[in-house]
Amino acid sequence: MKPDATVRIFLLFGIAVTAVLIILPAIQAIVLSFQSVNSFVVAGEWAGLANYRRILGMPEFWRDLWTGTCYAVCTVALQVVLGIGSALILHAPIRGQALFRAIAILPYILPTVVVAISFQWMLDGNVGIVTHWLKALGISNFVWSDSSFAAFATVVGVSVWMWTPFVTICVLASLQTIPDELYAAARVDGAGPFQSFRHVTLPGIRDVLVVVVLLRGIWMFNKFDVIWLMTQGGPLGGTEHLPVLSYHMAFRLYDIGGGAAVATLSLILLTVALVVFFRRFPIET
Amino acid sequence: MNSSARTLLARTGQYALALLLAVYSAFPIYYMIICSFREPAVFYTSRALLPTSFTLEYYRTLIRRTDFLLQFWNSIIVASATVIVTLVVSITMAYAISRFKIRGKKAIIGTMLYAYMFPPLLLAIPLTSIFAVLNLVDTLPSLVVAHFTMTLPLAVWFLWGFLKAMPFELEEAAMVDGCSRLGAFVRVILPLSLPGLATVAIFSFLLSWTDYTFGLVLLSSDGSKTLPVGLASLLAGIDMRWGEVMAGATLIVIPLFLMFAFCSRYFVAGMAAGAVKG
Repeated sequence: MKPDATVRIFLLFGIAVTAVLIILPAIQAIVLSFQSVNSFVVAGEWAGLANYRRILGMPEFWRDLWTGTCYAVCTVALQVVLGIGSALILHAPIRGQALFRAIAILPYILPTVVVAISFQWMLDGNVGIVTHWLKALGISNFVWSDSSFAAFATVVGVSVWMWTPFVTICVLASLQTIPDELYAAARVDGAGPFQSFRHVTLPGIRDVLVVVVLLRGIWMFNKFDVIWLMTQGGPLGGTEHLPVLSYHMAFRLYDIGGGAAVATLSLILLTVALVVFFRRFPIET
Repeated sequence: MNSSARTLLARTGQYALALLLAVYSAFPIYYMIICSFREPAVFYTSRALLPTSFTLEYYRTLIRRTDFLLQFWNSIIVASATVIVTLVVSITMAYAISRFKIRGKKAIIGTMLYAYMFPPLLLAIPLTSIFAVLNLVDTLPSLVVAHFTMTLPLAVWFLWGFLKAMPFELEEAAMVDGCSRLGAFVRVILPLSLPGLATVAIFSFLLSWTDYTFGLVLLSSDGSKTLPVGLASLLAGIDMRWGEVMAGATLIVIPLFLMFAFCSRYFVAGMAAGAVKG
């Protein structure tokens, strides 16, 4: 259909709003990254590539890039494994299936603040219930926030708990599209449960998994709130990644140009990853 | 006999796994809620996994001594405004790009998908500097705009897919019957889009209600904070008391549970279509 006046107004309105509220700020971030700015109200001075040169020379940047990549890879891998497992459990015909599914989605809709509070309470070094259980098992003096590794593992664990349901739902939806006849045929051919998972289920959910891994990978790479709420990047930078570095520079040190440069570098990295990904797994339209 | 025993074993295994998954998913929240009602005398010492005592003391203190109610109200205002603005802009825009031949359609959809994956600080930093210049920092409208930058790309993307699947003859028939384009849109397209709009409304509400990052960056005074930011500062306070924090966290999730209980269908639809970001 050809657009008429009403449709043109709809479109122009939408484009104008998007341009002013999303595209302009993104451009502004890139502009700020080329400036030396130390206040949100006073205009900065042009600094060329100084921010980028400084950041690429900072050991913290490389450490945080590595930590953030590890965080994204670990959380996505675990979410995919647990998500497929949960989806298989919830796909089986059992009574109360709807309720089981609803409960399994629950963690995903919670505010990150609530999740962070709940886990910090359970893991509290003095009064937490998990600490108590560990003591009963003979592990005492375990304080998750004391060492870099324990803090990193905890943040990964909490993130996996919270965001796995996304994978579960997507895989569950795609499991329902695999026809039963395929499983029956596999059984006739003598396939056991493991083989039919390997040769029927996995190919059936492959396309969905590709998209899920992409989306989750990007979102986990960008995730700021859970790490900031649990550890603020500590101890001694052990859980600090690029979003925390960017926040810290812009809002704590008022190095706004530096913070914007870190955010811009993250965007560039994501864009490159996205292009590579779509080369490898082109979307069929 | 042997095969029926095996079936029984498999059935039991299925239920055991489902139960395990349910306990794993629900326990942290269940435990938080029962602790919020636990008597102060045993609050720090009890290891019971079942509710052992009942008090509303933390809730009372929370409401009397902090800005909790005001922050609850702020959250409701911001989330409702985000939902309304998102619905109005996304449905009209999605309608235009899904049903008409428009130059640059691919660029628009591509931009939306790209904005979907912006690092949050990429928008938080410039928005703060823009709002600072406009003297809007620490106000609720600034937060609505920030949340809108997250919800719009998802909403347009989702509704684009939704409207594409709708037969084109519908509004043509209405227009042949004398409706204007706007009339056809309002009387035919909008009613048929209600399930899609419900999904958009739910996830926009969810994103806004649970957002911490933008609230942290844009709001500074206790009176203008939304719930997640207010609760986080309660957690970080020097006189932090776990009981009140648990009570506050419980009160934040109640509206979500209610919404989820009544609308989980739309929620699952949105999640499977990639409409829910998290």
